[in-house]
Amino acid sequence: MDSKVSRWLLPVGTLACALLLWQASVAIWDIKPFTLPSPLAIGERIVEQWDRLLAQSGSTLRLALKGIGLGIALGVLSAIVFHLIPVVRAALSPIIVITQNIPLIALGPLLIIWFGFGLTPKLVLLALVCYFPIAWSMLAGLGQADPHLREYLEMIGAGRLTVLRRLELPASLPYFFSGLKITATYSITAAIVAEWLGASEGIGYYLVLKSKGYDTTSVFAAIVCIVGMALAFYGIAALLERLVVRWRPAGRSGQGGGAL
Amino acid sequence: MNGPDKLELIGIGKSYARGGKRHPVLDDISLRVADGEFVTLLGPSGSGKSTLFRLIGGVERPDAGRILIDGAETTGERGHISYMPQQASLFPWMSVAGNIASALTTAGIERRRAAALAAEWLGRIGLADVADEYPQVLSGGMQQRVSFLRALLMPRGVMCLDEPFAALDALTRAEMQAWLLRLWEEERRSVLFVTHSIEEALTLSDRIYVLSKAPATVLREIAVPFDRPRRADVWKEPAFVALKEEVLALLQRGGAGDGV
Repeated sequence: MDSKVSRWLLPVGTLACALLLWQASVAIWDIKPFTLPSPLAIGERIVEQWDRLLAQSGSTLRLALKGIGLGIALGVLSAIVFHLIPVVRAALSPIIVITQNIPLIALGPLLIIWFGFGLTPKLVLLALVCYFPIAWSMLAGLGQADPHLREYLEMIGAGRLTVLRRLELPASLPYFFSGLKITATYSITAAIVAEWLGASEGIGYYLVLKSKGYDTTSVFAAIVCIVGMALAFYGIAALLERLVVRWRPAGRSGQGGGAL
Repeated sequence: MNGPDKLELIGIGKSYARGGKRHPVLDDISLRVADGEFVTLLGPSGSGKSTLFRLIGGVERPDAGRILIDGAETTGERGHISYMPQQASLFPWMSVAGNIASALTTAGIERRRAAALAAEWLGRIGLADVADEYPQVLSGGMQQRVSFLRALLMPRGVMCLDEPFAALDALTRAEMQAWLLRLWEEERRSVLFVTHSIEEALTLSDRIYVLSKAPATVLREIAVPFDRPRRADVWKEPAFVALKEEVLALLQRGGAGDGV
């Protein structure tokens, strides 16, 4: 029971207290809505704008999903190639690390100059963000396979690809899912940035529109939607992990989720 | 026992470079295992027994000498032996039956037949109940039974067992020796067994090669005189005790400090 209290009641209680405090502060000091709207006002705005928020979120979700798909495909593929051919890894990893250190906000306009205003620059941006966590955690996972199992397979005559298929890929699955959970939340943020840079729909576009109009309440409504989507993506990734990685002894499965 | 020896090592030598110097591990080792014979390599810990196995398995090449399996040279070739290591080395993401079946498919047995063989034999050794469990829920002794079965069922000329009971407690170990003895006498295979326990070697084997400490050479070859089928309490016989003391003296003269 004790662990249940600390795992659920405590964080939910803290969140509720913070919201109450926020609501009270806005009322006591009579803070104007365009500076800081109250939680209740934000809630009302969400209900009021529900259809529009839903449509805009849907468009952002589709973009984020495309990014995750690209990230998984490129990440898994390059992790396997880097693992099998260490020379490629040594040659390319500096370039990849450099791309990860360019701020999105600087990269975005450049991508627009290079690729125009269509879907392409957005997908490139998303792929760059989604790729890295998956590729790097999976690469770590491929190298972490139990040496006793490797020795066993080599002794019974397994070739390089059999070792990959029977040992290294299954052993890297928990790592892949750690990467996927990070990518799932990053993808939403990256999609927002991509829409911010130039789009005619999506919650990022909505955000720009409302902040330019000093409609702070709607900005907060959009933020709530964004946080909700990121949490949902994380939850789905965690659920998939639990469905796929079933062999780990109970109690260790929640370990990767420490970030939340 | 007709035909060529199942396994023959001729003048095997191996050394490793460490700190700029060559350290010899194996020196001119010659031995043979006849068809259906249980042969044990007995030697102190660190006498290069595992290195010898890696050479027989084709994971490494010897510096000198030749390895023949079924009369054909296999020096440096993989895929001619089945193997049971000290750690059970079962794949945690596969069921007990799946572990056995998957090893059999690696050895070229068709998938459905492999699954049928695994199920049939798990039933024969009384482990039908746990066939669908993950191996990590089994006790150490049970895991080693599965690991032995996996090696037994592989269609390979020689079974190499590398200190398979060394990690078990004394009681389980005695139990496993009796179990292995019974099963092997029903299903005679050509076995090369490694141990540093004199009693284990005398209880199980037809012949014993006593190895010196590094660089390992064959100190003596002993034909074990006890009848088959052999009783698991053969250690009570005076001849057993006498032979054990003789081997112990031999190992002590050979410079074995520990592990006997």
